[in-house]
Amino acid sequence: MEFSDWDLVQKCQAGETSAFQELVSRYQQKIFMVVLGLLRDREDSMDVAQEAFFRAYRKIKGFKGGSSFYTWLYRIAVNMAIDAQRRQKRNPLEFRENMDEVLEEQNELEKDPFSNAHDKELRAGLFAAINDLTAEHKAVIILRTVEGLPYKDIGEILGCSEGTVMSRLHYARKKLQGKLKAFL
Amino acid sequence: MMKRCEELRDRIGAWMDGELSRSGAEEVRVHLESCPACGEQRRQLEKLQASLKAVLVAGPSNVSFERFWFGVEQRINRKPVWHEDFFGWVHDLLTPPQLAWLVPAVIILVLTGVFSLESFFPGSRLAVQRNNFAAVESIDGFGRNVALLREDETKTTIIWLYQNQEGEDESTGEKSESSPSF
Repeated sequence: MEFSDWDLVQKCQAGETSAFQELVSRYQQKIFMVVLGLLRDREDSMDVAQEAFFRAYRKIKGFKGGSSFYTWLYRIAVNMAIDAQRRQKRNPLEFRENMDEVLEEQNELEKDPFSNAHDKELRAGLFAAINDLTAEHKAVIILRTVEGLPYKDIGEILGCSEGTVMSRLHYARKKLQGKLKAFL
Repeated sequence: MMKRCEELRDRIGAWMDGELSRSGAEEVRVHLESCPACGEQRRQLEKLQASLKAVLVAGPSNVSFERFWFGVEQRINRKPVWHEDFFGWVHDLLTPPQLAWLVPAVIILVLTGVFSLESFFPGSRLAVQRNNFAAVESIDGFGRNVALLREDETKTTIIWLYQNQEGEDESTGEKSESSPSF
């Protein structure tokens, strides 16, 4: 029998660490993907994702189920990733090196979705354009594109209204479109 | 570009995301069928969306999560340090949506600051303008007081001399005058 998130949360609140382990295995990949989307550095993203789960564990007794567990967990992870990204922005040289690593790693992947030169340029341009977005704009793009979350959930995660999510997405896409005009 | 095109273009992204109401979505759909310029905008957004997905989702395909729980468990079993709790609490307080308390707090702080600024910086232009009415101590030994009324704009100063009633009563025992003497 598979337990719902809320069942596992309640078990966890009663002190069952194994229930939290189950929650971690359910969401580890999703949380990592979102954090990686914001940070573009595997090691940092792994660290932030693990730290986010640890924070969730520490706070889980205060979770009353007012929102779904995953939006609550995402909120913790996204806020931590945004903080980490701001620190990263203060050290752009290091970030540049990390981004180059990601590009190289993707080049080595067997199924490279950007196989020709034009698309490789587009990919490099996309990375640069995404990097230029503000943390808030980047977060809505990641949550919508990677996770496909509805605006309502994105709003809950980022602590803003659906209208704000719509507006941020619009402006983020407009900025990306402007920078990548030659490729689109 | 028509105004209608401008309005509808702003909504193409939300339309692609399926986030418009039924009537709003229908309006965009019908317009896209008849407007080649907005159709081109839609095509660009779709390509952008596909490229973003390919870049953002393709990345971590070769990441192993075998030791992920180990990392979390290590943190759980680590002895907590008091300052981590404290800074965590402060951080949560300063993060949306908990940050909402900050707006009224800032308004109250600004209002309090403006009204009390004059006491800290008497000559400050930021301070709330009040009458420059200032009393000074007696200028002679007969219980007379002087008050100054300054008007900055007209550069006028009025010196107002008046009797100190209590002092007069004590020193002379005569009936006090209520009106000031000039």
